[in-house]
Amino acid sequence: MARTKKPENGTSTARSPSPSRASSASPSSPSGEDKPTGPLSIIISPEDREAIKVNNANATELKNACDDAMKRYLSRPELFKQIYLHTDVRLGLGWLSVFVAAGTAFYGYKVEFEKSKPVVWAGLILYILLTTLQTLYAYFIEGDVVYVGKRKTFSRRIVSERITLSSRTVPVERSKPPAYEVSITYVRSTSGGKSLLAKGKTHGVREYNSFFDEEGTMDQERFERWVGELVEQAMEGKSS
Amino acid sequence: MFGKLGLRVFLLQAMTISSSLASPFMIWKGLSLVTNTESPVVVVLSGSMEPAFYRGDILFLTNPRPESEEPQSLYKTGDILVYKIPGKDIPIVHRVIEAHDFYSEIVPSDADEGVAESTSDTAQDAGRGGSQRSPRSDLKQLMLTKGDNNPVDDLGLYDGLDWLERRHIVGRVRGYLPYVGYISIFLNEARQLLLSRPGAFSLKHILYSKWRAS
Repeated sequence: MARTKKPENGTSTARSPSPSRASSASPSSPSGEDKPTGPLSIIISPEDREAIKVNNANATELKNACDDAMKRYLSRPELFKQIYLHTDVRLGLGWLSVFVAAGTAFYGYKVEFEKSKPVVWAGLILYILLTTLQTLYAYFIEGDVVYVGKRKTFSRRIVSERITLSSRTVPVERSKPPAYEVSITYVRSTSGGKSLLAKGKTHGVREYNSFFDEEGTMDQERFERWVGELVEQAMEGKSS
Repeated sequence: MFGKLGLRVFLLQAMTISSSLASPFMIWKGLSLVTNTESPVVVVLSGSMEPAFYRGDILFLTNPRPESEEPQSLYKTGDILVYKIPGKDIPIVHRVIEAHDFYSEIVPSDADEGVAESTSDTAQDAGRGGSQRSPRSDLKQLMLTKGDNNPVDDLGLYDGLDWLERRHIVGRVRGYLPYVGYISIFLNEARQLLLSRPGAFSLKHILYSKWRAS
């Protein structure tokens, strides 16, 4: 695959997509099928970018910066649309528990202690229940998932795609710096999900210091290139 | 209106802040229910119990129900209690120097002559020994308290009452931590200071600047 070498600091030359990509047929999709556009073929002009700067001693900030960059990268027009299910469940349960606490507080303030006890017990139990549900949901169902997206393209028939990205920080081990590990699961199907066109699972690990310099500025193009490659590999149905 | 990051991010951050307030509050309420007192942790504000407690000490209270099986659910002479006189806001922490217990029904018990009243104004109550009454919800107690460091008893503080009753008691001191209460004293003084300058540190301002900084 020919690719123009891009200077690291991002000057104003735009990258042109590799010419061989559009015509290559992937092994697992039927021949003649148009492949949906992958993220690498959609260019962001450098003027649209905002610089990202984080505290590069804090692994949580590094991970969050990478996660956010990934979400932005994949949510651009023509690409995926984020499914907010996990976020909404967390918001719903969280706000409900806050309201329960507020209600209990208000009731306890208005009614004197002895009489308020049954209602305060009820509020407390409800709050513990909601908090437990939140924790269980986050641990078992949401897990490491950072982004869930879908896309529908209408080439010859309605093709639905669904992509899930999970990430975690690989902690420091002796002299190995902390690294960002991302796993991508991709499914492409049609006829309402009944016939499977492609399925891929990839994952990649890269040290944080390849995306962040010593000031903590993020090299977004490099990161996006890496993620874009992993996503396109998954879209081609590779499994790794 | 919500900037580049959108509504969901704002709601998430607002929820995180609200939860971080809701959680400690619910823990407090839970503790309050378990100890059966509206204020399981209090700060000593005066020196009337020196040398036992000094201003700035934190006290841990419980208020066992008379009918519960908890040991010593009866308040006895020598216990240190926190009480509130109705009509007065400030709780007072002093020691019981006299306690009279009444039960509304006469129930014959082992070492007992069937008398309804028992007076326990001696310092050592261990003499009750095997005739410790089973816990009963019809217990009525009349108590007199005095601060260790005060020259007179609390009768003048009772605002017309002759005795303290159980319903006035917030709880009995079961443990304490020295000095930690000064945090609460300073916070209270800071709060009074800030309240005198409204708008400078309003919660809205803090929430807004946190959100914008994201």
